[in-house]
Amino acid sequence: MRVKLLYHTDVEALKRVLAQRGVPFDPELLMDHVVYMFEIEDCSRVTTHQLVRHRAVSYDQESQRFSAATREGVVTPPNIQSSEAAYKAYDEALKAVYSSYEKMLAAGVPKEDARYILPSAIKTKLVMTLNARSLMHVVWQRTALQAQWEIRELATTLQNLAKEATPELWTKIIER
Amino acid sequence: MKVSLVWSSPMPERTIAVAMRRCFSTKVIEEIESELEQKGPEYWKYLLTKALQDKSLDVLEHFTMTLSVEGAGEAEMGGLIRSFPYLRASLLKGTDWLLSMNARTLVELWRDPRSKEFAGVVVSELESRNVCPMFNALAFGEKVHAS
Repeated sequence: MRVKLLYHTDVEALKRVLAQRGVPFDPELLMDHVVYMFEIEDCSRVTTHQLVRHRAVSYDQESQRFSAATREGVVTPPNIQSSEAAYKAYDEALKAVYSSYEKMLAAGVPKEDARYILPSAIKTKLVMTLNARSLMHVVWQRTALQAQWEIRELATTLQNLAKEATPELWTKIIER
Repeated sequence: MKVSLVWSSPMPERTIAVAMRRCFSTKVIEEIESELEQKGPEYWKYLLTKALQDKSLDVLEHFTMTLSVEGAGEAEMGGLIRSFPYLRASLLKGTDWLLSMNARTLVELWRDPRSKEFAGVVVSELESRNVCPMFNALAFGEKVHAS
C-alpha cells in the first residue's frame, strides 16, 4: 500500500485570521477547516469498502468499469500468506476467478459486467479529501485494536502524514 | 457582508482533473499528474467541462476553500449551514465567521435561488484573486457579473 498527501490547508493562514480577531488558537475550532487530500494506492477493495463508511469525506476511486483487472493486482492477508494450505486454496480460487474473468472479456462481455466475479482482494487506487474532524474519526475508529490489519495500517499512515504536515493541530488533538 | 478568501486548494482546476483521471486510469498518481502537466490547461478544461456536463460534481469536492465572512448574523449563517450540510462555519467573534466549503457546494449554492446571492459574492472574491478563472467561467459563466 502507498499513501501520499497531495495537499493540505495552510494552518498558518487560518491562524492569521484568528489572530486578527484576537481569537486564541484552538484546534477544536480549526478541525472543520483544515482539509487534506490523499492518494491511496494498492490497498484492497475490502479496505475501501470499510473506508467509504466514513461519510463526510470525498472519494474518487479507480473504476473497474473502464480498467481491466490483473491476477497480480491482489492483496494477500498475512494470515493466508503464512499458511501453506490456506495460500494454496487462495491462489487456486484467484486463478479460477481470473481465468473466468478473462474468458468473459474474450467472449465480449463488457468489463463492467465481467467485474462481478472479481474478488474483494483486488488492489485499487483512490483519492480522498476530508477535513481534520473526519480524519480524526477515521483514525480513532480504524487504529483501534479491533480494526482489521489493512485499514489499521492505512489509518496509521494517514495520521502520520497529517501529523507531519500539520503538527500543531494534531499534537493538540492527540493530547486531548 | 464582506467575504475574503483565506486559503484554497493549490491549482484547483488541475486538482479536479486529477480526481477525474483517478476514476478512469490505472496509473500511479505521479503519472497522472505528469500526463496532466504535459497535456496542459486545455485538457483540464475539457475534463472540467465534461464533469459539469455529465453532472459528475463529485470530482469538484476535491477543490476546497476557506473564507473569512464579516457581518453575517447567526440566522443568516445558520440558514446556509442547515441547507448545505457540507458547509462548515465557525463563529469567531460578533458577526465574523470562518467558512469552509468545496467547489461542489459552491455550485449548489449558486444553483439555489435562496443562496445564489451569497454564492455570487464568493465567486466574485475568487475572481478578484484570480484563483480559478477556468472553473469560474465554466461553472458560473457571465451570470456572476449579472447577479
